[in-house]
Amino acid sequence: MRALDGVSLEVRRGEVYGLLGPNGSGKTTLIRMLVGLVAPDAGEVTVLGTRMPDLEVLGRIGYMTQAAALYTDLSVEENVRFFAAVTGAEKNVAEAIEIVELSDRRDSVVATLSGGMRQRASLACALVHQPQLLLLDEPTVGIDPQLRVQFWEYFRTLTAAGTTIIVSSHVMDEAERCDRLGLIRNGHLLAEGSVDDLRRQAGVDRLEDAFLKLSGGPAE
Amino acid sequence: MNGRRVLAITRRLLQQFRRDHRTLALLFVAPLVILALLGYLLRGGGSAPAVGVVSEDSGPLGGAVATQLLKSSKVSASEMDRPTADDRLRAGTLAGYVLFTADFSLRGRQGVIAPEIHLEGTQPGPAAAVVGAVTAALQGALASTGTRVAPKIVYLHGGSNLDSLDYLGAALIGLIVFFLVFIVTSVSFLRERTQGTLERLMATPLRRAEIVIGYMLGFGLVALVQAVLVLLFTLYVLHIHNEGSVGLIFVLVALLAVGAVNLGIFLSVFARTEFQAVQFIPLVIAPQVLLSGIFFPVTSEPIPLQYLSNVLPLTYAVYGLREVMLKGSDLTTTALQVDLLVGLAFAALVIGLAAATLRRRVA
Repeated sequence: MRALDGVSLEVRRGEVYGLLGPNGSGKTTLIRMLVGLVAPDAGEVTVLGTRMPDLEVLGRIGYMTQAAALYTDLSVEENVRFFAAVTGAEKNVAEAIEIVELSDRRDSVVATLSGGMRQRASLACALVHQPQLLLLDEPTVGIDPQLRVQFWEYFRTLTAAGTTIIVSSHVMDEAERCDRLGLIRNGHLLAEGSVDDLRRQAGVDRLEDAFLKLSGGPAE
Repeated sequence: MNGRRVLAITRRLLQQFRRDHRTLALLFVAPLVILALLGYLLRGGGSAPAVGVVSEDSGPLGGAVATQLLKSSKVSASEMDRPTADDRLRAGTLAGYVLFTADFSLRGRQGVIAPEIHLEGTQPGPAAAVVGAVTAALQGALASTGTRVAPKIVYLHGGSNLDSLDYLGAALIGLIVFFLVFIVTSVSFLRERTQGTLERLMATPLRRAEIVIGYMLGFGLVALVQAVLVLLFTLYVLHIHNEGSVGLIFVLVALLAVGAVNLGIFLSVFARTEFQAVQFIPLVIAPQVLLSGIFFPVTSEPIPLQYLSNVLPLTYAVYGLREVMLKGSDLTTTALQVDLLVGLAFAALVIGLAAATLRRRVA
């Protein structure tokens, strides 16, 4: 089975690029390929102008995995500090925690935090070294709508500062906030463009309908 | 109490077992393997300890006892001269030798049978076998004429003041450190894999070697503190016999700890859950406990098991620790040099294996 087949896409600097597709469509594999955790059987992956995998480029990428991958027996600050030390960015620790609004919980052990707080702490670990490219694998899965809005505010703050964000999601209202979208299904890139582009391409009003139409029917 | 609810739990457990073939195999196969190993070890016609027979007796009695000894199945005896016997005892190729002095027959006629039994002294099992075989041979050679048998026992190392704890203590220090460090590292590294933080680390500029060495230093440090504690306790509370340098014991234990850390990282690849990681205990630890010479000397194992023993890292640690603590060996001793080199080689091998499991681009 091929997790991804013939996917070719380009992400522009400073934009929020959304990878939209149902579970199991290949979004995570694509993101893992971008950080060099999976090698493509054919073709190449170029990130920030360098062919992956490349250790130096990894220092300029922030990667937030689907589940909040944290050391649950350490505090928020200890987690962020660890990932900061790995990328040589210890001086940003307080700022990163500030961005995700966890300053008052910075000494709390992760195991005692709610799912939403863990997710925020995880984001802080991914952005502490001020990466040029932020890869977020379903960052808002399982968190409440209010926090989701908050996350998108963080993302916009970051892109305003020049960060490029690639975010995967299967939630339509979230996809509408992206500058450009790539629709993925069964490992194929079905369509690409801004929300308006995709709606026009499909000749429908709602992005959800556009997705269904472009992917040739309801998800199985 | 509702029977249906109870049975629901029971059924669920059995279903889970059905999916986990490894645990099932372990539950049913591991005990048989371990018992078979133990059976073979103890009943597999292990090699009898090598014993030298030196007869300087001017009378006939020495020769008669020697003949009996050479026929004994408890020991593998061969005749030799005294310098050879001393050399081989020091080299560790003899468990002991029996010396019939020039006046052996003379004193025998006076009613005192006094052979000298020279023992290597670091391993209680063979020592008992040698003394037993000599006693039996004496009984075979003599008509029971009320003569007093008073063997004089000379120890090359240690001596009669050593008890079982002295023999086991040296080896157990190695076992304890190896076992605990291995378990803690493998579970901790497994957690790094299952909680996704390893994936995250692999997406940072960290190099594999940096991860492995970082782990090694972290756990190595804890292991060394543990070793200090174990050593202080055994030396100053239990008063275990030590003739060698405490620093050298440390070097051996540190090497073993480094090996155990990396073995833990390496083997954590083969476990999906912490439960499965704990299953390495019977697979990795049990055979080493049986075969590394802690309880049963390697030289008295059946020959095929000796080959196995000689590839187990713990065997060399046990040799090395006994070498230092019971024989007082230092770095000029060839045997200890070999043990240290094997320890180094093992540590290097598992460091390589551990690093290899952290390859990027691998799911």
